[in-house]
Amino acid sequence: MTSYSNGGLFNPAYHDSETLEIDRRSSSKTPLHTNPYARGEGADGHYSTGQISSDDALRRVPRGGWQEESWRGRESLPMGHISTRPRSPSWQHDNHSTFQIPPDSQYDRSLSIRLPSTTSGNMTMRRRGISMRRMSMFPNGDPNHVAFTEDAIRNEMENEEQNLVKELVALSTRDRIWAIRDLPMSFDEKKHIRSQVLAFKSAKKSRQFTCFADCSENMSLSFRRCGYGIRSARQTLELWQGIMKEIGGTFGTSVLSYFMFLKWLLMFNIFSFLVNFGFITIPQLVYRPWPNISPNVSFRGLEILTGAGYFNNTVMYYGGYSNETKVHLVEYNMQLAYFFTIAVYMVLCGIALIFSMASSFKTNYVLADPASNSAWQLLCSWDFNITNDKAVRQRKNNLRVQLKESMSENAQRERLSLSESLKHFGVYLGAWLLSTSLAVGSGASIYYLCQFEQQRATDSANWSLLQEAETLLVPFVVSLMNLVVPLFYSLFNKFEHYSSQRKQIYALVVRNVLLKMSILAVLCYNWMNVVAVKFSCWESMVGQALYRLVIVDFLFLMLGSFFGEFLSNVIGTRLIPRLGVPEFDVARNVLELIYAQTLAWIGIYFSPLLPAIQILKFFILFYLKKVSLTQNCQPPRRSGRAAQMQTIFIALLFFPFFVGAVSMVAFTAWSLTPSEHCGPFRGLNSTYNVVEVWMVHLKETSSSHWVVWIYQNVIRSEIFYFLISLIIIVIIYIFWQVTRGHKLRIRVLRQQIVDEGKDKSFLLERLQNLQKSHPDIRSKQKNPKKHSKRRPDDHSSGGQSTSNAIVQALLARQHFEKEEEERLSTGGVPVPSDISSISSALIQAMQARQRAEGQERNEHYSAGYYESPTNTSSAVTQAMQARQRAQVEGTDDASDPTSSVSSVMMQVMQARQRAEKDYRPQWVPAPPQNPAPAGSSALIQAMLARQQAQNEYDDGY
Amino acid sequence: MGNKQTIFTAQQLDSYQDCTYFTRKEILRLFDRYRDLAPQLVPLDYTCQPDVKLPYELIGSMPELKDNPFRQRIAEVFSDDGEGNMTLDDFLDMFSVMSEMAPRDLKAYYAFKIYDFNNDDFLCKSDLEKTLNKLTRNELTEDEVRMVCEKVIDESDLDNDGRLSLEDFQTMIVRAPDFLSTFHIRI
Repeated sequence: MTSYSNGGLFNPAYHDSETLEIDRRSSSKTPLHTNPYARGEGADGHYSTGQISSDDALRRVPRGGWQEESWRGRESLPMGHISTRPRSPSWQHDNHSTFQIPPDSQYDRSLSIRLPSTTSGNMTMRRRGISMRRMSMFPNGDPNHVAFTEDAIRNEMENEEQNLVKELVALSTRDRIWAIRDLPMSFDEKKHIRSQVLAFKSAKKSRQFTCFADCSENMSLSFRRCGYGIRSARQTLELWQGIMKEIGGTFGTSVLSYFMFLKWLLMFNIFSFLVNFGFITIPQLVYRPWPNISPNVSFRGLEILTGAGYFNNTVMYYGGYSNETKVHLVEYNMQLAYFFTIAVYMVLCGIALIFSMASSFKTNYVLADPASNSAWQLLCSWDFNITNDKAVRQRKNNLRVQLKESMSENAQRERLSLSESLKHFGVYLGAWLLSTSLAVGSGASIYYLCQFEQQRATDSANWSLLQEAETLLVPFVVSLMNLVVPLFYSLFNKFEHYSSQRKQIYALVVRNVLLKMSILAVLCYNWMNVVAVKFSCWESMVGQALYRLVIVDFLFLMLGSFFGEFLSNVIGTRLIPRLGVPEFDVARNVLELIYAQTLAWIGIYFSPLLPAIQILKFFILFYLKKVSLTQNCQPPRRSGRAAQMQTIFIALLFFPFFVGAVSMVAFTAWSLTPSEHCGPFRGLNSTYNVVEVWMVHLKETSSSHWVVWIYQNVIRSEIFYFLISLIIIVIIYIFWQVTRGHKLRIRVLRQQIVDEGKDKSFLLERLQNLQKSHPDIRSKQKNPKKHSKRRPDDHSSGGQSTSNAIVQALLARQHFEKEEEERLSTGGVPVPSDISSISSALIQAMQARQRAEGQERNEHYSAGYYESPTNTSSAVTQAMQARQRAQVEGTDDASDPTSSVSSVMMQVMQARQRAEKDYRPQWVPAPPQNPAPAGSSALIQAMLARQQAQNEYDDGY
Repeated sequence: MGNKQTIFTAQQLDSYQDCTYFTRKEILRLFDRYRDLAPQLVPLDYTCQPDVKLPYELIGSMPELKDNPFRQRIAEVFSDDGEGNMTLDDFLDMFSVMSEMAPRDLKAYYAFKIYDFNNDDFLCKSDLEKTLNKLTRNELTEDEVRMVCEKVIDESDLDNDGRLSLEDFQTMIVRAPDFLSTFHIRI
């Protein structure tokens, strides 16, 4: 199949192929239309072609509007009245019993059809309920059953559809479109529903002012088209779609998630660049396009790496901005702009992170359940993204290995001796101690290195080339540590034995985070406490340091992907084939990205244009990693739970890293004195003072008092914060309690599901047992709605699906119950008329069964005085006679319809009861050697006789 | 891509956009993909709603599907005739469900149908065995297959009826967050 090429298109046989030009609608309908009376064979033939075709035929029903839908009904109705056909008379009874159901029984029936899965309320669910039902009713190829319930189901479908349309009309346009999209139906059905809704809406509108309605309709249509246009345009701007598809196709979702993360960070940086450039840099450039670079500083090339010297006084760094209030067209206060831009950007970043983290947690972590491992592996782990032939093969292999592993894991889990577990514990302890000391050690070494550097550095504008190059030492060492130490960590991991891969990854991630945190903490400490005191324009110095870190980190990322991936590829393929081609280490690479992003966040105060560098870096990195991935790596062997890892990474990005960066910037803004000779905040005690100055200014100009009032009574008052924290704590407490309540309820509901499952199986068992112990009743019930010809088929399909069997049993039971009532009322026996509609259809069926049984038994007792014929054949003859008599009397029932028909009924019943009685004694004591063909056939005949009598009785009315 | 397109009327495009998760551009791109499968059969003008159907052999040879072990089931589930022969509408419907925007419930519903090989609305053991064999190239022994299937049912069957209903399946999907990203075909 895969070898099928497009060349086949040019094969003329294709164009003649019927499948291509086939008109489904007419083709499936024609046999039915051409011979409307041959429903017996026609319908059978149609349904027996397979479940799909019958399903298909029904699915198509609502599409073509109501006329088309009713073809089935129109066609099937006359058949019942045509009794001239010489074929077996039995199937006429069949149809009669189908269509003569009194209207009030319809409700009961539809109730009982309702499968337990049908829940009302949620629209989608309800809709799904129908389609489920539709699927479950028909696919089993039981045509009689279809004939039996088709009417009820069609009615119900119409009702459901009407309800759905009404619900949809009530929604707003946007919600409606989403609701339609979310319907689990085929496109044609959706289109049909949509047109219905639109027609309904326009009909409703036309009653109002037509002109206005038209206008608003057009407006909303054009708005919607405009919205779709914007979405289209946004998709055009979407970066790297093709590449993403390629990566996902070859390496699967988990590797793809790295690239998605990279892209997401890139978007973050583009946003921050736009904000900073727009609100800080452009005003500065408008006011003073050229920085005042002292003439003796020239561009030497090394600046690109170090960011020092020539760049020192440009808008790249804090020092390049002025503190003046610019009066061009409008007054623009640089101090306020700088402060608020950074503050607002940080707040926005925080909100975006919190939201994405929270939603990701909600979907990926809270709901996730590690218990269902193999179910997940089997049913959810297949990656539909993968389109590469080789990758598919590899993935299949991996899945097989994983399944085998998980099975053997389960078998071996108990067998772990004390000494072994002690050994494992020792290895963990050693690895943790070692890795923590490595992290602390690298932090300490960087601390001493920074001190050494500060001693050598001088606070002068122009450094010699050597001095400038020396500044690269710290970033170099830091990046080297970031590159090498994680490799050690991976090495430790090889010696540890973790029970699950997830724990292993978590351990690795935690160690790497510790390392990066310790390095960054030492650097920040150094900047805050040493650099801030020593240099005259210290913010720019910090900015430069960050610039260097970002640049050198980029170089090391490139080196890392060269060494980490290319070299291990070479080693794996050429030197030590045992190692094999390396996999792409998502965890390590994502942590590198997080580290890089943290540098950019810290630097945003000191070097507002750092995001520009970051954008460039990420952009190049994307292509670099992509090339490295496709050249050096193989798809991951284990399909881990990528979504959870993604959540962890976003959480990590937020918690230690973003929060750390924000607190660092906040500390700078609140506590440190800005440098006196450069930057927008020169001359102030702290950066935050700028707000106080502004407030004083506002008070003097007395233009907007409310701002001042808010500042003094809200921002600066402790009471406000006290109250806010109190309220938040109370809310948190309430939510906590609510969550506990929900947990309790979830547990209860889960238990309830389990209990209901047990109930269901118990009731099913009871039902089956009862049916087994009373086969006569069973056959009697099944007979009224079956051709004798179809019976063998039915037995084979009956075992196929239990649910279908239940529904059938229910229907049969209800039908039987109805008959029983009628019969009893004509026979003068008191009827228990409490057919209460109990919620569970099953219970109803059970009760009905028991009641019917009871009545049956009563009848047996009351019929005791009849002379009991010794053989079945006499019963048969009696039944036959009764039928004939019924026929005869049915012809001249005009004279006295009630009495004659009821007497016929009585006789037939008696005949039947007699037949039953005869057949039971034979059947019960010796079932093995006597399969009771005679008894059952007598029963069938009696049933037929009764049916006929009933038909005629009905006709008589 | 020119702003004027004559393949669909504006109303057709509206209804496509309202009923699928695609934008105009994507719909046109999907149409191109559909037409590329059989340029002689698919007309360039869909305004009169021609009744064109591509056979499963062509649909299954798309690069997005040709290596997918479930390609036949996917085509069957989404085709109107249940045999994998697809009209443009079916084609759009398929990729709409497989797109990124489709909600979890919808995806779960169709995934369930895809795994339900015998269309009986339940994932029973035979369905799971078929799925497993498709996923592992028939390389597990019978015992292993049986064990895995039993374990799957054991883990996810909430009502203890020995097979997975749609509800069971949805509960399982909710607990498997990766499903949203893996049950996804990029176009």
